[in-house]
Amino acid sequence: MELVGEEKRIHALFSEARLADEQNTPRFAGVWNRAQSQTMRPQRAFKLSFVAATALLVCALVSLAWWSQRGQRNQNNAVVASVPSITTVGPSSVVQPAKGSEPAPLTRRNFSNRSRVLKLAARRQVVQLAAARKSLRDAKAIESWKSPTATLLVSSSDELLKSLPQLNQTVQELKSFLPNQPQ
Amino acid sequence: MGIDRQKDGMEIAELKAELEVLHSASFGWALNCCRRDRAEAEEVLQTVYLKILEGKACFRGEASLKTWLFAVIRKTAIGEHRKNLLRKLRWSDGSEAATTLVSPLEQPGVAFEKSETQALFQNALKSLPRRQREALHLVFYQDLSLSEAAEVMGISIGSARQHYDRGKKHLREFLGQTESAYGIGWRGKENPRAV
Repeated sequence: MELVGEEKRIHALFSEARLADEQNTPRFAGVWNRAQSQTMRPQRAFKLSFVAATALLVCALVSLAWWSQRGQRNQNNAVVASVPSITTVGPSSVVQPAKGSEPAPLTRRNFSNRSRVLKLAARRQVVQLAAARKSLRDAKAIESWKSPTATLLVSSSDELLKSLPQLNQTVQELKSFLPNQPQ
Repeated sequence: MGIDRQKDGMEIAELKAELEVLHSASFGWALNCCRRDRAEAEEVLQTVYLKILEGKACFRGEASLKTWLFAVIRKTAIGEHRKNLLRKLRWSDGSEAATTLVSPLEQPGVAFEKSETQALFQNALKSLPRRQREALHLVFYQDLSLSEAAEVMGISIGSARQHYDRGKKHLREFLGQTESAYGIGWRGKENPRAV
């Protein structure tokens, strides 16, 4: 590249700077050896930042799981609370263990599992019962329903209008049906 | 262990010899990338050599060794700068104390930069945007062509040319302003055959 005018000047200034930098350049061997000694240094099995990130992730997952479980429990409680006659259904009426079978050793975990199953079954039963009751109430309500305008259809001459003259009736009786006939 | 990873690239001993030849230029480039902070430039260069030794930066002969090395230095300097910024944010008190310990006047090279013209020139360079400063440095200081400069900077040759032209313009304006105050005029004509 041919340099002209101020480019020459800029180039000269850069060359001047380069000369000064060259005089103050650290020795290659020194920098290289320092780098080489760093490669020899035993490296940490895992970085701190990685550990911190993993811990954070685990915490987030645990809290998420706890939160979702809590939310589910609250929802179930709300369903149970909405049914008024919850006391009528007991867990004993829902799950009956087989009489002949040997009960498993009651460890803490087994107990908690069983109680959870019982609770779930009871809740399910309660919900079903509530639904059945509701449908029964609805059916009764439909059965006893009366139209509000039904009274308008009732009149004093209903009997006359609804009955038909019979063949063996007397003429006098038949005449009574005719309008504008002197009695 | 890291040395073994250089199998497909150049042999480490050969590479070391080449790096030694380029060491001075590399340091100059590192200084430019670190805004002429000598300690930081030295650290960056050491990190680059470490990367090469560990095989994290592997020369595959796709470009010239000089442009490859300069690109690695540039990336490392940017990374180190970012890290230092974060460190300063976290430990602002400690870093301030540390910076006050080393007086800038004690650093070598400062005496040179005290020369008036160079001081003006360095100030003018510092006032330029990073890309423009890089383009000018690579062309004028390292005597690279614009295409090589573009390769180092990781941009297209068109962009490199733009940064080079704008940088030159800004530098000329800045130097013109400052030198006119001293009664030195050095405006010259444009070089039509540049690049």
